[in-house]
Amino acid sequence: MSTVLKIRRVVSDQRVVLTVLTVGLFIYFGLKNSAFLSTDFVIYPLLRDGAVLTVIGLAQLCALSIGHLNLAVGRMAAVAALASGAAYQYWHLSLLPGLLIGLIVGASLGFVAGVIIVKSQVNAFIVTLAMDFALLGFVTFVYVTFTGSTAAFITKPEGMEFWRNTSLHQYCISGVCGPKVFPMMLIPAIVALILVGFLYAKTRLGRELLSTGSNLRAAKLSGVPVDRRVIMAHTFSGLLAALAGVMLAFTNGSFTASIGSQFMLPSFLGPVLGGTLLVGGSVQVLGTFIGTMLTLVIRQGLSVQGIGLETLNIALGLVLLTALSLGQIQKMFTAIRMRGRI
Amino acid sequence: MNFKLFFKNRATELSLTIIFILGFALLVATSGGVLLTRQSLQGFLTYLAVPIVIGMAQMVVLSIGQMNLAVGAMGGVSAAMMAVLMADHHLPIWLALFIGFLSATTMGAINGALVVITQLNGFIITLGTMTILMGFQYRLVRTFTIDSYPKSLPDFGNKSIAGFPLILVIAIATSVLLSLFFSRTVAGRRVLATGGNQIAARLSGISNGRSVFIAHTLSGSLVGIAAIITISSLPGINRSIGGDWMLASFAAPIIGGVLMAGGTVAVFGTVVAAGVVRLVDIARAQYLLDPSIVSLTVGIVVLSTVALSEWRRRRSQRALEGKKVFG
Repeated sequence: MSTVLKIRRVVSDQRVVLTVLTVGLFIYFGLKNSAFLSTDFVIYPLLRDGAVLTVIGLAQLCALSIGHLNLAVGRMAAVAALASGAAYQYWHLSLLPGLLIGLIVGASLGFVAGVIIVKSQVNAFIVTLAMDFALLGFVTFVYVTFTGSTAAFITKPEGMEFWRNTSLHQYCISGVCGPKVFPMMLIPAIVALILVGFLYAKTRLGRELLSTGSNLRAAKLSGVPVDRRVIMAHTFSGLLAALAGVMLAFTNGSFTASIGSQFMLPSFLGPVLGGTLLVGGSVQVLGTFIGTMLTLVIRQGLSVQGIGLETLNIALGLVLLTALSLGQIQKMFTAIRMRGRI
Repeated sequence: MNFKLFFKNRATELSLTIIFILGFALLVATSGGVLLTRQSLQGFLTYLAVPIVIGMAQMVVLSIGQMNLAVGAMGGVSAAMMAVLMADHHLPIWLALFIGFLSATTMGAINGALVVITQLNGFIITLGTMTILMGFQYRLVRTFTIDSYPKSLPDFGNKSIAGFPLILVIAIATSVLLSLFFSRTVAGRRVLATGGNQIAARLSGISNGRSVFIAHTLSGSLVGIAAIITISSLPGINRSIGGDWMLASFAAPIIGGVLMAGGTVAVFGTVVAAGVVRLVDIARAQYLLDPSIVSLTVGIVVLSTVALSEWRRRRSQRALEGKKVFG
């Protein structure tokens, strides 16, 4: 009996369903067109993009955990990349200190957003949307002012090539080398996944963030400093967005104003597909990774089939709307079942 | 008539009007009167029409406390549809424009229906539909610019009534109608009631779902009108149409005094604010500044307006509570 229950629980787990779906689609696209299984041209870039988009998904997840939205993830990433790029170009910093500057800038942007939200009591998506508009002009303005028509910082710090182009293949322990498809870029993403997962699963802070998200009043009455938790969630969101921004700049090989402009939709797709609730109070950290990979497999698979950008957009929009509606339908069924029981 | 109250309630509109007049005068003075020539005045007024109408399209959705991220994509698709129908299928102009308008209205209705059915925030639904529609727009026009429609359409766009471009007159007329909708009709009042307080609205027998649906559909219709204005005032339609509408659509109503929390509209404020934003644009062209300076300025103004209006609202609320206690 207990094994049956266990199996049922595993099968009904959204993450398992997603993984099966992702792997299934992957095999389907591979069988349909063997070019899809090319390590160098498809799978390696796919995983590398997946790493960046997972981190941006986690940035959104931090805001979602308290029931807020961060519409400025893309622009926060852009400003952080701008700061890192400037640090490399003008102050000739090495890789890590430059990255650190970007992360600090991103975290402070998130902090500012959090403080404005708490102090003004305005809805989070309004504050972050307005912030997005302000930063959009700022980023382009700075690039154009400082670099003229190129509008990019192109100084590459030492080690950047290593992060963007190599895989675990270069590391061997007693003759066994890592797989060639494993991009180095995945390592920061995995670190971020572990840290965020640890935060929400094991620490008191994480639980306080979740209880703030699930019921603000109840959390406040139980002695959670909700204002500080809201600011903190947005700071984490800014920090992770910054990491994603710098990672994308590394992947692209240059720091431009267009970094982050495509982040908004993926930042929601990953967490929402992975089972994170939009209303707050529940997060799925690993689900974010799987959800991101699913969207990337769909995207890459369709484009290997020669299907154009426009259909990709249509497909991804439909995936988002379907995932949202499915969650709603599930909730409705649960409600009906509960009513039946009572 | 209580004049003090009259001015206090219209503080935003009045100060915006003053800013608009001062800014315009300043630009005229620094340009040495070039702005007052017939041609540049015509250009200023013609390109004011679209910001006014998309500002109102956003305002209608803001009035129920939601937002419509798909304003640009909806406008792009319906303008592209009109262009394709005229150029490739040789439909008469009025029919093509009408079909485009209907399709924009339908897109708004679909947004509204999805929001009501899924009970999710309009923001996330319109993020999804925006992505889908951007795909459709690309599918319709590809990388081409469609401009092979009958010559009488640009002629229509260039027409003017007593010195005012016809399309600006259309935009103003639309805003007057919209203002009447919100102030004089039952449906309009119900939409505002939903935006102000959903629970109170429901307890007074108002269907919130219907209000949400009406607001999104109306937003679609307004986008349709904006698309008609666009196609008759621009030389051609390509896939970039609508791409830069988002900031403009939020800037006009927010600066114009619409609360993002819902429950208010400010048609006149939106129109004047669109004018002020247009002035910033003109100033940029006049002083040969980078285009990004416009979005920087407008973004900062929007952010501070949001913070300021909320602060003011809370202060007045606190004052009211104080009166209750001590009065």
